[in-house]
Amino acid sequence: MTWHEDLQNLIDEFAEVDDQMERLEMLYELAGEVEELPTSQWNDITRVKGCQSEAHIVVEIDSTVHLMGAADAKLVQGLMGILAIAVNNRSPEEVLNLTPDFAKEMALLNTLTPSRSNGFRNMFDRIQADVKEMMQ
Amino acid sequence: MAISDEFPILARKVNGKQLVYLDNAATTQKPSVVIDAMNDYYSIYNSNVHRAVHTLAGEATEAYEECRTLLKQRFNAQHAILTSGTTESINLVAHAWARANLGAGDVVLLTEMEHHSDIVPWQMLSKDIGVELRYVPLNDDFTLDMEAFHSSLDGVRLICVVHTSNVLGIRNPIEEIIQAAKKISAKVSLDAAQAVPHSIIDFGACGADFMAFSAHKMCGPTGIGALLINQESFAEMQPFLGGGDMIEKVSLSGSTYQENEHRFEAGTPRIAEAIGWAAALRWLEAINLETEHTRLVRIANSTANSLSQIPGMTIFNNPSGNDAALVSFLHETIHPEDMARFLDAAGFAVRTGHHCAQPLMERMGVKGTLRASFYLYNTQQEADALVEKISEIVEKFA
Repeated sequence: MTWHEDLQNLIDEFAEVDDQMERLEMLYELAGEVEELPTSQWNDITRVKGCQSEAHIVVEIDSTVHLMGAADAKLVQGLMGILAIAVNNRSPEEVLNLTPDFAKEMALLNTLTPSRSNGFRNMFDRIQADVKEMMQ
Repeated sequence: MAISDEFPILARKVNGKQLVYLDNAATTQKPSVVIDAMNDYYSIYNSNVHRAVHTLAGEATEAYEECRTLLKQRFNAQHAILTSGTTESINLVAHAWARANLGAGDVVLLTEMEHHSDIVPWQMLSKDIGVELRYVPLNDDFTLDMEAFHSSLDGVRLICVVHTSNVLGIRNPIEEIIQAAKKISAKVSLDAAQAVPHSIIDFGACGADFMAFSAHKMCGPTGIGALLINQESFAEMQPFLGGGDMIEKVSLSGSTYQENEHRFEAGTPRIAEAIGWAAALRWLEAINLETEHTRLVRIANSTANSLSQIPGMTIFNNPSGNDAALVSFLHETIHPEDMARFLDAAGFAVRTGHHCAQPLMERMGVKGTLRASFYLYNTQQEADALVEKISEIVEKFA
């Protein structure tokens, strides 16, 4: 699959790094890429189920998609940063056509299988489900 | 040859780094003899057990039943039912014994330290037949509040207690609990999942009625465990799962059941897994568990001590009772999930989360912890390397 330029650049940046610790440090820095959802707005609706950490996201559509989010685990918020780069300023159709495989290309996660501990997959699925619902 | 040389998986690298496996309280690794035994069964004598008269069936039956024999010998038990693991074993106590012998108003006494597998089956039973559940609280040092235990015994018919905690490593005062239970003719069911890998419990002599544990935490395969039962309680159990292998005679008007453990092992059993477990039990026979356990507890306690020197680190162990050779810890600013991912990047496998003990986490006032748990193949050097890596991570990200 081909990815939009911003996402491809990010994949390339990660691909250049061999060391997993360095990749995680990059991910840590990406926590700042998602517009932070203040804790005062965290509730059961914003909560992403199946994350070990407390993770909350809100998806808005104003002709294009916009993601806000925050998590108590910095690396989980870093994954939100990647998701923000993947979906922000994209049309709902583009977001619905995305697959989570870009995370595999970044070699960041050991699994993309939906499970109770796969925060990334649960967040990705949740964004697509929210977009789909808002489109109906 | 070091013990670790017998475990093929320990030679692998993770994220380009040598694997240091410290998640043994979740599951242990398997020595070659276990892997080979299961391979041999499938390659040489795969067959169903108990009924057919052909050669393969005979060999498979012998090998399957050897697991039961070894378990009975090792733990001095009159009966050993093979189950899918600790969880199924506890559910079997709930379905096969408690349903047949308890009713509305009878009390089942649990503790706040229990694993979910020793809470949820009882909550389900309570909903179904109206037994009352009581929970023994913990002291501030996370030991059981024995004063509260003794004052909670009125009307108790069954006491379910974790022998050694999977979160705290604390061994509970089982002897005192069993003694108190005997005085009121209550049964005792032990969750020994974390205890059995570290000690040979004399089930027959300890006076408990049921003891549940899993193979995979003691170098055996996943998918198999056991419920040990004394004669009196075994005789009071009613079959739970109906089907093949557990019957004596079936007619359209009704069925009669086997008298022995097969009564509770309906369907084709876990043959390869039992054979693998038997190999693990034989392998463990050659280990001096007492010496090894002392070594592992020393490693765990020195790790706890070193980690406690790191600014912002809280240790949740009680060193005087660390019987599962584990360390539960938490840093005040680095989320346990982040710490676990950083450690994984460096080759260390540790556990993070609530460890299937949410009520205990609530009592500890945390959502989760990190847990490093040690087993036979782990060394002090690995523990030191873990502490060093954690110090580096804290220095960089706290």
